Amino acid sequence: MLRKRIIFTLIYENGFFNQSRNFRLQKVGDINWLEKNYKFQEVAFSLDELIVLDASKDKRDMKMFSRVLSRLVDNVFLPIAAGGGVRSMSDAALLFSSGADKIVINTILHTDLSLVENLVSLYGSQSIVASIDYRIIDNRHRVYINNGVEELGMELESYIRYVENLNIGEIYLNSIDKDGTGFGYDFDTINQVAQDIKVPLIIAGGAGNESHLSSGLIIDNVSATATANLFNFIGDGFPSARKKIIEKNINIVSWNK
Amino acid sequence: MKVAIIDYGMGNIKSISSALSYVGVNDTILTSSYEEISAADKIILPGVGGFSDAIHSVRELNLDKYLYESVVENKKPILGICLGMQLLGESSDEGGPNRGLGFIPARVSKIEGLNLKVPHVGFNQVDFSSESKLYKGLKNLSDFYFTHSHKMNTDTDINQAMCNYGDNFIASYEMDNIVGTQFHAELSQTNGLKLFRNFIENF
Repeated sequence: MLRKRIIFTLIYENGFFNQSRNFRLQKVGDINWLEKNYKFQEVAFSLDELIVLDASKDKRDMKMFSRVLSRLVDNVFLPIAAGGGVRSMSDAALLFSSGADKIVINTILHTDLSLVENLVSLYGSQSIVASIDYRIIDNRHRVYINNGVEELGMELESYIRYVENLNIGEIYLNSIDKDGTGFGYDFDTINQVAQDIKVPLIIAGGAGNESHLSSGLIIDNVSATATANLFNFIGDGFPSARKKIIEKNINIVSWNK
Repeated sequence: MKVAIIDYGMGNIKSISSALSYVGVNDTILTSSYEEISAADKIILPGVGGFSDAIHSVRELNLDKYLYESVVENKKPILGICLGMQLLGESSDEGGPNRGLGFIPARVSKIEGLNLKVPHVGFNQVDFSSESKLYKGLKNLSDFYFTHSHKMNTDTDINQAMCNYGDNFIASYEMDNIVGTQFHAELSQTNGLKLFRNFIENF
């Protein structure tokens, strides 16, 4: 039986990991902080996947990000997706060679279709995660690119159809309104769009505790729940959340150390 | 113990080499050279991407001939992972009809099914025989990480373990010295590390 997944997303900016709130970043600590507070080789047994995103707005340094990525994933035997600022085949190659098993793309889905096509063709659909950021304004779901800065003027559902047609492998759907709030996922939107999505759907934005993760995991067409909340799951946050979720008989793997 | 990881220009092999080093194999080399493949004790054929591009690169680099000599003639143990496992089969319909290396009597076709999300992504359970050398020490229906849009099937007994997603398909095979896994053991926590150890110790 195919399991659902719990994913931890790390938001990186110029050397630091961040707590994001509605896409405004607050520095929390560097990789030493992260290793101290989240001992990945241990916490990995409470997770099913890691996503590491470079949200640097200016002075993006892909080489430095790749070095951090490489150190982070050392001896972690889980799928790793990385992205943020992929603008060329060589950016993607650098992430793959630094330990990424998949890459996450967002802006180029709109701005550089031939690059998307080349990435899919070289690495295969299953290696490409399409990230979609949206926010609700005047009851309309608006799609944003460029770290949530630029509005596309496209409705979410038609954008999802467009992105699916690019042969990407998974969709990472992130609510900017809920991001970092810890109030729970945007279930209204998720319930509205999930059943028509033909690729695996990862939901993000708003998870603050175990019950949010559980409520997301039990939605039929949701394949994975992601959280980027650095504060709420610190220490034994993930192990105890996972234990409760397994006790509820939700379909996730029970890992043995 | 020297392990050659075949390089035909694709994918993340970092986690494969760290998994090998985790189980005590530190002498790994990423290579497409005849001499190095011949000198290795074991071979790993990794792979991501499309079958068509991959098999073309393999042939362009003469890896089909080198692998035939090492694996079929000299019986050197090989582990094909994901696309690598599929390349060892007879054929695939991905990117047009393509012939594989033909070491294993099995064929690859697209995953299809009503309301089935494709690719098949995530941890799924593997149903294997208790006689298996590859899964020694693991509980049946252990979970491994899959990510693929094409699946392998056969009418022949190749000591296959099975996975179900829409339909049953081959999760792994072990035919003498030739082993393949559709899943990524290197991304499957302790289950995967055990499997690597078994490949190194039992083949």
